[in-house]
Amino acid sequence: MSYMLNAGAQSESNIEVHKYYGGTVIVTAFLALVLQAFLHKYGRWSELVDLPLLVTVYFGVSRRNPVTGMFLGGAIGILQDALSHDNPIGLFGIAKTIVGYLASTIGARIDTQHPVSRLALIFLFFHLHQFIFAVTERVLLNHPEPFFTVRLLVNSVATAVFGVFLFALLDRLRRSS
Amino acid sequence: MLDNTLRQRPLALLAALVLAQVLLLAFQIKRDHDVRLIRYWTTAAIMPFERSGTWGFSKTGGIWSNYIGLRGTHAENARLQAEVDQLRLRNRDLEGQAGEAQRLSLLLNFHEAHPETPMLAAQVIGASADPASHTLFLNRGDRDHVRRNQAVITPDGIVGKIVEVFPATSQVLLINDKDSGAGALLADTRTHGVVKGSGDPDPRLDYVVNDEPVHPGEMILTSGEDRIFPKDLLIGTVSIANQGNPFQVIHVRPAARLDRLEDVLILLTPQELKKANESADAGGADANSPGIVQKETAPTAVSSKPPSASPATQSPAAAPTAPKN
Repeated sequence: MSYMLNAGAQSESNIEVHKYYGGTVIVTAFLALVLQAFLHKYGRWSELVDLPLLVTVYFGVSRRNPVTGMFLGGAIGILQDALSHDNPIGLFGIAKTIVGYLASTIGARIDTQHPVSRLALIFLFFHLHQFIFAVTERVLLNHPEPFFTVRLLVNSVATAVFGVFLFALLDRLRRSS
Repeated sequence: MLDNTLRQRPLALLAALVLAQVLLLAFQIKRDHDVRLIRYWTTAAIMPFERSGTWGFSKTGGIWSNYIGLRGTHAENARLQAEVDQLRLRNRDLEGQAGEAQRLSLLLNFHEAHPETPMLAAQVIGASADPASHTLFLNRGDRDHVRRNQAVITPDGIVGKIVEVFPATSQVLLINDKDSGAGALLADTRTHGVVKGSGDPDPRLDYVVNDEPVHPGEMILTSGEDRIFPKDLLIGTVSIANQGNPFQVIHVRPAARLDRLEDVLILLTPQELKKANESADAGGADANSPGIVQKETAPTAVSSKPPSASPATQSPAAAPTAPKN
């Protein structure tokens, strides 16, 4: 089922809002966090893909509600911080809150169903997430976190490619309208 | 309604959410010296206001205390000044009382050192109106059994003699008055003479021949021959001794401070003063009676001179010490 979003800008009136079965968002976010932590044990290749970020972006652009988007991003980020061994709580939370908000906002304005647009969106959000993360680290923790490296570029491409397939998979969890 | 508000203001909600997480981070992160970031920020945010407040309060307090609070200072200053004046007067009064107590103490000691001699303490209450006359008025008179020709002394030395007696007062002729005279002798040589007033502050010792060795600082004592002053009371010391014709001109510096007398003793009888503890302490001078000089201090060789050799032995005190009236 889809419905037209009443609130917000007039440009949002023609954008479709997707609904999911109950618990889908929570279970998906939980699985992303578990897999990210689980796969980390088996090598650094798991760092190539940021599953919590992909989940945040996907449900942000799909549900197209900035409030739920930022809350979902914030919750995923805080849990990600909690699972990391040395990150203070809130470091990923801030970055993913902003990403979730922006993803919802952008998803309400442009079409995010096409794989190419999804690829570009995930790529951009990855670097935006890294930028916010680096700023937070630099300002609050005095850590010289880099804004951009080749490794980050590789990771962003890998995440974007993987995200296109993951988004298609997650599209199957939508409730039919 | 809240849901609508949140939907209409997502950017504000985003800011609040991010701020909450920043604060959450600040609670966890520790900066230098193990200080949590939230405390660091809070201190940095609060301190400028506290500093401003402190500055403002200090300035306000300074204005208050230096200007507004000084409204009553003039009146308070006047009150304090009056209090200072009163205290000064009180201080002078106390100083006067202390001086008086000291003088009376000396008189009392002197009196106690000579219990055998009846004496009467008196206060100087006035002086002569004639600048050429060296006389004083005492607060003792006929009612106190004061009589003419009684000696007036202080613990320092002799002062003069009573020349007039009134019911409640009496008049003293000082030893430096030109009409005054007292039988005297030089303590070292026992040479007799007469201390006469000259009208100057310092009296003269007359009738000492030029052959007698007299040196400045030598003590001059009463000889007792005038039958007014008991023997061996201190009159003063030689200040100047010059050869003269036919006798030496000897200036005497009175032992008693004749220009600053306040309390004196009147010897009610011409009885000779003796030391109270003479038998116990025959060799030393009595500290309580500085005006009394022991006989033993005088050389005996001089006193062996024939009385006719000195004019002082011819009852020199008799004529000049006669009362005016």
